[in-house]
Formats: sequence, C-alpha cells, structure tokens
Amino acid sequence: MVLDISKSINKVDNFEKITGTAKYIDDIKPEGCLYARTLRATIPCGRIVSRHYPDMPEGYAIVDHQDITGQNFVKIIFEDMPVFVEETVNYYGEPILLVVGEDKATIVSLMNQISIQYETYEPVYDYVDSKIHKSYIKGQGEAVFDKAYKVIEHTYETGYQEHVYIEPQGVIALYEPDKVSLLGSIQCPYYVKNALMNVLGCNEEEVRVEQATTGGAFGGKEEFPSLIACQAVVASKKMKRPIKLIYGREEDMAYTTKRHPAKIKIEAAISKDHEIIGLRTHVGLDGGAYIGLSGVVLLRAMIAATGAYTINHLHITGDVYITNTVPTGAFRGFGAPQMIFAVEMMMHHIAKELNEDPSTLRMKYLAKTGDVTSTSGHFIEPIIMEKMIQRAMEISDFEHKIKKHKHERINKDSHKGVYKGIGMSWFLHGCGFTGSGEQVHIKAVVRLKKDELNRVHILVAATDMGQGVKTTFRKLIAHKLNIPIEQVIFENPDTDKVPDSGPTVASRTMMIVGGLLAKAADQLKHQWNDQKEVMVEERYKQPEHIKWDDETLQGDAYPAYSWGINIVEVEVDPVTFEVTLQGVWSVYDVGKAIDEQVILGQADGGLLQGISYGMLEVMENKDGRVQQKTVTDYIIPTAKDTVFMETELMDNPYALGPYGAKGAGELTLIGGAPAVALAIENAIGKHVTRIPVVPEYIMELMKNG
Amino acid sequence: MVNTYYPTSYEEALELLNTHKPTIIAGGTDLMVRKRAWSDLPTGFDQDVLFVGQLEELNYIDRQGTNIHIGAGVTLEDIMDHFHTPTLLSDAIKIMASPAIRHRATLAGNVVNASPAGDTLPVLYVLDSVVVLESLDGIRHVPIDSFIKGPGKTIINHNEMIKEIILSGHKFNHSVYRKVGGRKADAISKLSVCMIMDIKKGIIQNFRAAFGAVGPTVVRDLAIESKLIGKSLAWLDENVEEIGKYYESIIKPIDDQRSSATYRKACTINLLTDFIKHIKHHA
Repeated sequence: MVLDISKSINKVDNFEKITGTAKYIDDIKPEGCLYARTLRATIPCGRIVSRHYPDMPEGYAIVDHQDITGQNFVKIIFEDMPVFVEETVNYYGEPILLVVGEDKATIVSLMNQISIQYETYEPVYDYVDSKIHKSYIKGQGEAVFDKAYKVIEHTYETGYQEHVYIEPQGVIALYEPDKVSLLGSIQCPYYVKNALMNVLGCNEEEVRVEQATTGGAFGGKEEFPSLIACQAVVASKKMKRPIKLIYGREEDMAYTTKRHPAKIKIEAAISKDHEIIGLRTHVGLDGGAYIGLSGVVLLRAMIAATGAYTINHLHITGDVYITNTVPTGAFRGFGAPQMIFAVEMMMHHIAKELNEDPSTLRMKYLAKTGDVTSTSGHFIEPIIMEKMIQRAMEISDFEHKIKKHKHERINKDSHKGVYKGIGMSWFLHGCGFTGSGEQVHIKAVVRLKKDELNRVHILVAATDMGQGVKTTFRKLIAHKLNIPIEQVIFENPDTDKVPDSGPTVASRTMMIVGGLLAKAADQLKHQWNDQKEVMVEERYKQPEHIKWDDETLQGDAYPAYSWGINIVEVEVDPVTFEVTLQGVWSVYDVGKAIDEQVILGQADGGLLQGISYGMLEVMENKDGRVQQKTVTDYIIPTAKDTVFMETELMDNPYALGPYGAKGAGELTLIGGAPAVALAIENAIGKHVTRIPVVPEYIMELMKNG
Repeated sequence: MVNTYYPTSYEEALELLNTHKPTIIAGGTDLMVRKRAWSDLPTGFDQDVLFVGQLEELNYIDRQGTNIHIGAGVTLEDIMDHFHTPTLLSDAIKIMASPAIRHRATLAGNVVNASPAGDTLPVLYVLDSVVVLESLDGIRHVPIDSFIKGPGKTIINHNEMIKEIILSGHKFNHSVYRKVGGRKADAISKLSVCMIMDIKKGIIQNFRAAFGAVGPTVVRDLAIESKLIGKSLAWLDENVEEIGKYYESIIKPIDDQRSSATYRKACTINLLTDFIKHIKHHA
C-alpha cells in the first residue's frame, strides 16, 4: 500500500507539548546545580578602566575573561565577539562577567556590590562603518543606466524584528572531570560544540552538546546560544559544578540578536518604451556591534535583489555596518524578507510612476523556467508561478476586489467609510545554504542505524524546534522503508551520538538532510538484515550541474527555489489609521509536502510573523538601548489580530529532494510584509517605503505623502 | 522580609490595614508584574502585603437609584457581564487586556493603579464616578478626578482601602468608547477616549469627554463641555473644528516606546470630531 506522503499524521510530540510534560531547558534541574547571572556593560561604547569585585562567600564566584582557558571569542565566522568583555565595550548590555552560586538572592546581592568604572567613547549608530562590502553584476551591470530614458529611485527601510520564541535563551553546563556537557535550547548542536572547543581550548572528545526540547527559535537560537554556552562551560570548569544560565524575557529581548534593520536603495533604469532594463541596488544592513553572521545575511539579501523576477542587467552592492548596538543575527528568512519587501514595493512604484497596471508589469518580468538568475545561474527546476498566481487570485477574488475598492474610493467620501485595500506579493526563497556553503563549509553527514530489534535510529544533528522535524523525518524513513513510524526513533540530537549533518537553518533540513536520509534509507533497504545491527551513512555531494564562484558571486546560488504568493486584504480606519486584516490567502510551491498539516502550520505561523513584521512589530534603539524590551511594549499579534488564512499547496516535486520536497520554513514569512504593505498602500493611495506600517506612519503619509 | 495577610472578613482587613500599612492586592495583575523578580525568587514587594480579592463583602454590584455601586473585589470579567453595568464600561472592559487578566483584575485596582493609560478611567471620569475609601477612621467619598493626582499617584491614605466605586447609571443618547492600542487585545493604550452627548429637540443637554494616555492623568474639561451645552445641532455642525481646537490646548501627550505625541494628539482630536460628525449624521 502506497499512501501519499503528504497526508497528515499527528505530530509525534503533540501529547507531551499539549499536556505540558515536555521538559524544556528551565525544567531540567541537575543535582548540585549553580545558577549564573550576567553582569552587563552600562555604556554603549568605551572601555573598562577598573573593576571592583566584592569578597565572595564560599561557593560563590565571579567568572570573567580571566577564567577562559582557550580563546576569548565566540567562534562563528569572525573572531570579533568576545565571550566576556576584557576592556573594550561595544554595546550597552555587553556581558562582562557571570556571578555564580547556589542561592539566587545571594547572587543578586553580590551583583549589586560589583562596580565597574568606564571611560566612554562617542558611540556610532549610523550606517557609516562598513565592515563587509560585497558586489556583483549581471549582464552589462550599471552600464545600462547610460541608455536609460529615465531612472526611478526609491529607498526602502525595514526595522528590527525580535524572535519572541516560546522560551528565552537558556543553557545548562554539566561537569565531569574530563568532559563538559552542554544542554541547551538550541538549533545547531555542532555550532555550539565548535564554539565550546575554542573557548576551552580542548579537543572534541572533551565536549558534548545535547539539545533540550526547544519551543521555538526562528533563527534566534542559531548562533546566539554559542555565547551563553561558552560562558556557562567556563563557569562550570571553574566551579566543577553544573551551571544553569537562563535568560529572563526582558534580558532576552534587550540583549540577544534580532533581525537586521536595513536600508535598501533601488534605482531602476527605464527605457523609452517603459521596459525595466536594469537595476542598481544597494543594501545596507545594521550588524550591531559584531559581524556574526551578517555577511551571510547580506549575501542572501543581495541575491534576492530581483525577487521573483528576471531583470537582465544588475549592479548590486551591499554593506554590513557596525554600530554600537546589540548584535543582529539570524532570523527566519535571513536577509530575504528585507529585500523582498523592497523589490515588491519597487515593482509597484515603477508601475505607478509609469502609469501602468502593476499586475501586468510584474507579469512581464516574472521569472520563468530556464531564466538567468540574478547571479547569472539558471532556474533549472520548473517554475509554476503563473499557475499559482492564477489560483491565488481566484481564491481571493483579487481582481474584483481591486476594482471594487477603486470604485468605492472614487465614488465615496472615504473619510466617512473605511479605506479598503488588497495587496499581493510574489516571492521565492533559495533552499539550503547560499552559494557553496553546503559543499565547502557544512559537508553534511547523516547516519541510519538499524538495531537488533529492527528499530531504525535517525542519527542527525537536526533539531525539532516546533517545525515538526521529529514527525516528518520519522514519517519519511517509515515511508521509505515501509515500516511503522513507531519503529523509527529520533531523539533530541547529542553530538556524542550523531554526526554533523549541519545546522537546523536555511530551510535546508528536509531538502538537504532529509534528502540524505532518504538515500541512506535506500542503502539500508539493500543491507537490511533482520538479525544484525546495520549502520549506513550518506555524505553531501553538490549536484554536478550546480556551479558557484564565491569571489565573483556568480553562478547558482541555490540548488533549488521554493515559491509563494501571499494576498492580504485590509481595512484602514480613517480616524485612527489602525489596520485590520480582512483576509489572507496563500499559494506555495514547496516541491512536495512531507506532511501537509506541518506545512500548513508553518504557513499560518510564518505568514503571520511576516505580516506583523510589516505592520505591527516596532523595535527601536535610543542611545544604543532597545526601547521595546517586554512583551507588553513589543507588539506581536494575538489571535484577535489575525483572520482565517486560506492556504493551498501546489506540488512541484524537486528531483533531489526526498519525495520531491524543497525548503518551506522561511518561505512562509517572506511575502507577508510586502503583501500587507501593498494592501495598505492600495487602501490609502500613498507610497509606502518603510515597515512596519504602523498607524503613526500612515498618519504621516496621509498628511505629507 | 515581608509578611502577607489573608483576612477572612472586610473588618479584619481594615484592622490589618490600620496596623501594618501594607500593600493591598486584589487581583495583582499590575502589582505582580511591577514587583517581578528573577524566576524562583519571591516577588520584590518591599512592604507587607494584604490580600483582599477573596473578601465576599466586596464582591457586589448594586443599583441604588440612578447610581451603580461596584464593590472593590469584583473582577472585570464579572463587571463586564453584569446587567447593571453601564454599556460604556462593558465596552471598555471587553477590549481590555486578555480573558485571563480580566478574570483576576478589579476595577478598584485599575483606579488605584492610576496609570494615565488605565483603560476604564476615561469611562469612570465621564460617568462622574466617586471612589469610596474606608479605614478604621471612617468613610470618604472622593470624585475620581480628585482621587487620581498623577501617574501612580492618588490621595489614598496608608490605612485606607477602596470599598467601592459609584458611577452614574444614566443612559445617554450618544456615547462612544474607543481605545487605540498597538494590537487588538492585550495592549496598553496608546490613547483612549470616552464621550457622551444627550440631545433633546435639537439642543445639546449634556456633553462630556475624557481622554486617556494623553497627559499625566485622564483629561476632562468641564469648562469646555459647558460651552457646548444649550447649543443647537446646527451650531455643532458649524463648530466641529472649533471644538477640536478647544481641546488641542489641553491635550499634551508624550513620545514613548508605544507611540508618538503627534499621533496621540491628532488621533484623539480625530476621534472627538468624528464622534461629533457622527452625531450630526444620526441626530
């Protein structure tokens, strides 16, 4: 019996999540555990001149940079971010030391007795100090601007976005004489492991990293946990006791990574017959105090410079600017949400300024199978966007609504009624790591082990953080081997037990890791022996037809792309400028859903996160300090703020993905902001150039725009 | 070290209050957040704590003549659904906080918290509410606008507690409550307005307007209100913008992490003029 793999099953962790029996990091209480609390810098920029530590009672200690036996930086890509401040302070709240001990009240009182003296320097908050610059061209690059009949130029701005995962950041370091184990609410066990080896100056046998059940991450638990993991293990080594370091929500919101704010300037060269002949785009990202993953985020943003369209001549540049603010980092979409917002608005603004119908203009440039990508690679896999657009317009009654809203605007005094508008975004998302990342840096390895009881163990470092990989991987293997799902075992990864299949990021888990697992399952099928243990292994190999040049940024940036359409309908209150969602429709091509309900879950959650990035979520820095650092002041949507979301999936199987699956996790967030921004623009008849489109901004547009 | 007291009668509560001058908790939805501490540590109360939410003597809603008396212990959820509760107050509670908070929080708590953004306050100002305070020394009746002195500041004495709040049960021809928050539930107001108007034979009999989160306390101006009383609908029609201007000079919001002064002010005036235009339309 062959069932369609997309047919939904219950998520395997439903019971423990719903009944509250799942053990999150703060639920774990090892015996003899000490608590740790972070003392932070109280200036945005400067240096420490002196420190005064109180006498510590028995069993309590200060852990700072002097306790580090390896190197004092958090190993990610660059060696710029210290584990503990030695002298230089680069952002307000930068961690200086931990106070550790058994009783929390004593820790708090000891912290109050510490005094740190600073010399302050002039902080930088503007986009002036570029630490990473990248550029690429397509076709004739900016030379086409010489032939332009006219140039249309706009600058788009996007703000911070905070992850607001279910549980704040947290780790527990466990101590044994010749080994340190780290449990954490994390996405990438091997990132953490590598960082720990670096800070301890030890070899890989001396460190073990295990994921605790993780209630949400959204990229926030990609690179950030390495920082607190390093701090906790240094403390654990010093105290020879387990150390628990868990952030409070406010601490988490104020001092952990967020989505990069961006300024994106796009110039379009327009020919006499209204053709878009080329784009010149500059992306500026605010990296905060340290580079971290910002260069990679920048690259994804730059590669998305033409969104779902094909434009023949491009000159794309980008910079990561360092500022004296909290470091920004990975967040679902990883640079693409900023760029797709800018591109989608730009296409509309070009149409408006050329007096053309936006849908017609966009359709003319919509990418088609075989087209040359922004980085001069090719869209090799079939693109079914035309079909998807047609379907999305059907289910939302898009064209009729555009006409109806326009008619109402013309024939009524809109000040008496509400402003109504509808917006549609088209987008794509490159699946897996950008460029040669998978082949050169990650080199994923997966294993399947069949034990004597014929149970099959999935041995990968992929983490379930709510996205359902515990369910979908088990389902995948059960289908492949035609065995009951109960016979497939997939535990939270532990680096002593699983190989490095890479981080759980970049919408790569099902397509890349799942793809390798599917191949491993085929191998296992051949080697299956009912009596014996069998272990099989697969390693990532770049498909031969995929070529990429890291220097010139030319070639196929991704092996495959997922595609999407979002349509959002809104009403804008003419008195208060509050925006109310009226309807949300989506069509996605994720290749093949391994579980339909899991993808629909991603679709609802991702899109709502994208829409609220576009209309609700305000986070600002004032004098280097985050102003909205509680869930009261940082506004994410409630059930009352959303509406029923209608989602359709269109199968478009990718040959190298398991059962045809491509990436899905990030895709669903990317189109939300432009769709809602376009809906608001459509309703109020003004140019929207920044997100979030909050009532304060709409009022400003109505007055001046 | 702080002590906590859990009296079983109102009388006992008043005595404990007199002796220990404690912090009073009914629902605790503001205080527990304000006194939050690192997880596992006790909350950061620096004074003794007196619990009053359990006192049945304070759990009542009565109508006496045209006035509604709401006991200090009634939760917002119970007030919201009660048949004596004025519509304006129900409207305010319906969009306040979240169901969980509404099941704990009290009206008295919202009053004594004295936040400029307190969601029920503009309604209480418009309904000429009186705060009834009691201590072993006796009972005082204090109009809401004299009770609240500034953000978090009231005239309550250390040995006093709120017994009840009395509000007008009068029904108005036209009334509106609007709250503008960052989202549709569980939000602290960027601004809120409560306005009423009674019209008889084309003449304004009564007009009241109160504005929240646009000053240190809720803004209500009797002098401006009296300018409208006795005027005709035709006058109202011609003077919409003028009335907006009356209020512009007394609405002085601030910029903060939730909104801007410019938006708060413009939006408040917009809601006022919209209310008046709406009346013309339906009168």
